[in-house]
Amino acid sequence: MSEPLLSLRSAGKSYGSTRALSDVSFDVRAGEVHVLAGGNGAGKSTLIKILAGAIGDFEGELRVAGEPARFRDPEAATRAGVATIHQELSLVPSLSVLDNLFLGERRPLLSLWGAPRAEAKRILARVGLELELDRRVEDLGLAERQLVEIARALQRAARVLVLDEPTSALAEPEAERLFERIAELRAAGKGVVFISHRLDEIFRVADRITVLRDGRVVCSSAAAELDPRSLIEHMVGELETESGASSGALGTDVLLSLARLRVTHAGRRMLDGVSLELHAGEILGVAGLQDSGASELLRALFGAVPCDAGCELVLHGRRYSPRTPVDAVARGVSLLARDRKDSVFPARPVTENVTLGSLRRVARAGLVSLATEARLAASVTRRMRLSAPALSLPVGALSGGNQQKVALARCLMSEPKLLLLDDPTRGVDVAAKADVHHLVRDVACSGAGVILVSSDFDELLALADRVLVLFRGRPIACARREELSRERLLSLCMGAS
Amino acid sequence: MSRAARTLLPLLVVFVIGCVFHQSGAFFEWSTHRALLREISVLGILACGMTLVIVAGGIDLSVGSVLSVAAVSFATLTMPKGWGAASAILVVIAAGAVMGLGSGALIARFRVQPFIVTLAMMVFARGLAKWIAGGKKVTNYVTLPDGASRTVDLPSVFGVIDSKVLGDNLSVVTLIFAACALLTWLVLARLSAGRYLYAVGSSYEAARLSGVPVGRTLLLAYALSGAFAAVAGICQAAQETHGDPETGTGYELDAIAMVVLGGTSLAGGRGGVGLTLVGALTLGMLQKILSLNAFSTEARLMLTGGILIFAVLFQRPWQRGEA
Repeated sequence: MSEPLLSLRSAGKSYGSTRALSDVSFDVRAGEVHVLAGGNGAGKSTLIKILAGAIGDFEGELRVAGEPARFRDPEAATRAGVATIHQELSLVPSLSVLDNLFLGERRPLLSLWGAPRAEAKRILARVGLELELDRRVEDLGLAERQLVEIARALQRAARVLVLDEPTSALAEPEAERLFERIAELRAAGKGVVFISHRLDEIFRVADRITVLRDGRVVCSSAAAELDPRSLIEHMVGELETESGASSGALGTDVLLSLARLRVTHAGRRMLDGVSLELHAGEILGVAGLQDSGASELLRALFGAVPCDAGCELVLHGRRYSPRTPVDAVARGVSLLARDRKDSVFPARPVTENVTLGSLRRVARAGLVSLATEARLAASVTRRMRLSAPALSLPVGALSGGNQQKVALARCLMSEPKLLLLDDPTRGVDVAAKADVHHLVRDVACSGAGVILVSSDFDELLALADRVLVLFRGRPIACARREELSRERLLSLCMGAS
Repeated sequence: MSRAARTLLPLLVVFVIGCVFHQSGAFFEWSTHRALLREISVLGILACGMTLVIVAGGIDLSVGSVLSVAAVSFATLTMPKGWGAASAILVVIAAGAVMGLGSGALIARFRVQPFIVTLAMMVFARGLAKWIAGGKKVTNYVTLPDGASRTVDLPSVFGVIDSKVLGDNLSVVTLIFAACALLTWLVLARLSAGRYLYAVGSSYEAARLSGVPVGRTLLLAYALSGAFAAVAGICQAAQETHGDPETGTGYELDAIAMVVLGGTSLAGGRGGVGLTLVGALTLGMLQKILSLNAFSTEARLMLTGGILIFAVLFQRPWQRGEA
């Protein structure tokens, strides 16, 4: 077999006394998709940072096409043909697609006006994109942006593409398109490192799978030799059985009812005529692809975006018309935002993050009681099975899954009557996901209503009592879980009646 | 190196420089440092308010001008108008807070950039100060209603603020500075409002979606900054024994320098008043050393600029590391 495109031998890395990675060997060959799997804190991020050139000082050896190499900075990695597409994309939102494609390339100034348009079209065609070149990147959908970024990487002669959870923000058909492109890249002899939390995806794309746990490689084998169950066993060490049991007896009292909810944003109708009833103790799932308006539904219910005139909301038997999130919180409504940067404060300690939404419970006349605060934060984080060395640490020091738990802890701390969750397990590892599911069921059992927007159909089918399907802002179906399947949900989401 | 160590190191470096260039032992005398504490007090009070605003992710360029409005208003109320000290102090502080509220309202309600809003307030307040003072300094040489002019006694409050206690060892302005710093610490470290300030400074959207009253939080930050600027203005008037509409020009930049020198990030959401105190001491001590050694104003300005850059560059690692 030929030399791997990229190979890492016995890599190790410590942060202070924490061993993030030890004795990890990992390689990528031409024409293969190598999936990197592992729970939160398993060392994936550290490994990706080494490949991306974000960590220059690690133990061990890195070879590119057989030649020893060491990336001092991300640019060096790019020059060596290793392109990393992070979850946070690196395109400039206010520039056009064309400008973004050629940004940072050293080419004569004048040539930017002439020839590149044809070239740009060709570059985009390579990832199957047909775009108006002058459109600004901020006006593109997330999937399109991701493909533009991949196209740009390929343009720079990337031989190895590292895709860090590329589908976490994508809906299923968009992810589908991405997989097709990945297959093409593989056929063209590129090496692809693919990081994902979704089992179906992993087995869909992988040629080889390497599993990290506690900073070590616990398994590295051909995808065909693994199945979902054995993969999860490798990842978590033990298998957590998922109970699909219903969230107990449903209350009959209507907690929230809304009629003819419309939201127009910047002249675009985001939501059109949504009516629904939510019972106390019920988990209502909301399914929908990008632009379905599912996030807007939650934001409107939380007062974060204004509803159009003419809609009627009743919460707990009283009219409910939140003008700001402060109004919503005062009525016992809590939102877990979709984007982690909108839900945690990375530089602030865990404790402060958790209590921020319910300072009234820990403060008297505005003066925070540090003891009460620490006690409450400790109790809620223990219940969430948060793994943090200390609650005084900044949240930014925790892994993604634990950050998500902190955000959820803040929501639960305020003891909400209506909990709005926007894709709560996005980018969260299997074990943390099970914990989150457990908590959501708990909240419902205690009599609160939950509206759960999720891009993960399995999650909806596991948790929700009923699922509402939105298609381009319109409700097109609402069915009990028993009547639904993944296939049925997908076809509904895609607009089939 | 820990964050505290990194903050303290510039102070230490400046201190060592002082020990080397001690100007025949003048640097080792308590009176030198006593004077230093007095000289940084007015700027330090501004820096306290500035810390609150910067933690909330903003900036307040208007503090120097608000200080001058406060100085001339205080002088006008107490001398020509003959008001009592207590009512004059209250009214002036309230006026400072109102000016801060004005900036805060524009920033919170219309989401205009703080830099622009407070720049406008800086220009507006300077004009206001000149208008109140009638284009000249407000002194105890007053014009009476009948047209005659005469010198009145300097109100005793001027003397009180400008006096020293503990056997001449501590100025009253330094005590006022300490009280302002303590209040700022209380707000940031112990009050719910402080949590909200950090949250809004870290991420406005995340704070909003957590149910933080973001508008009120911004209003509070700018109102407090305005009130602190007014307190500084009263101290300034007392020290100068008159109200000068030109006073405090450029003070906003010194105040920002003190905050940043302490290591509080201009990006918002981190830092604290303890850091600002260290920054204030560093800047003050540097000025003292330069003046002891009789550097010319030109050289002093250039050296101060250079050392500021050095100190801020030095603090970058922790800001990146914790990001």
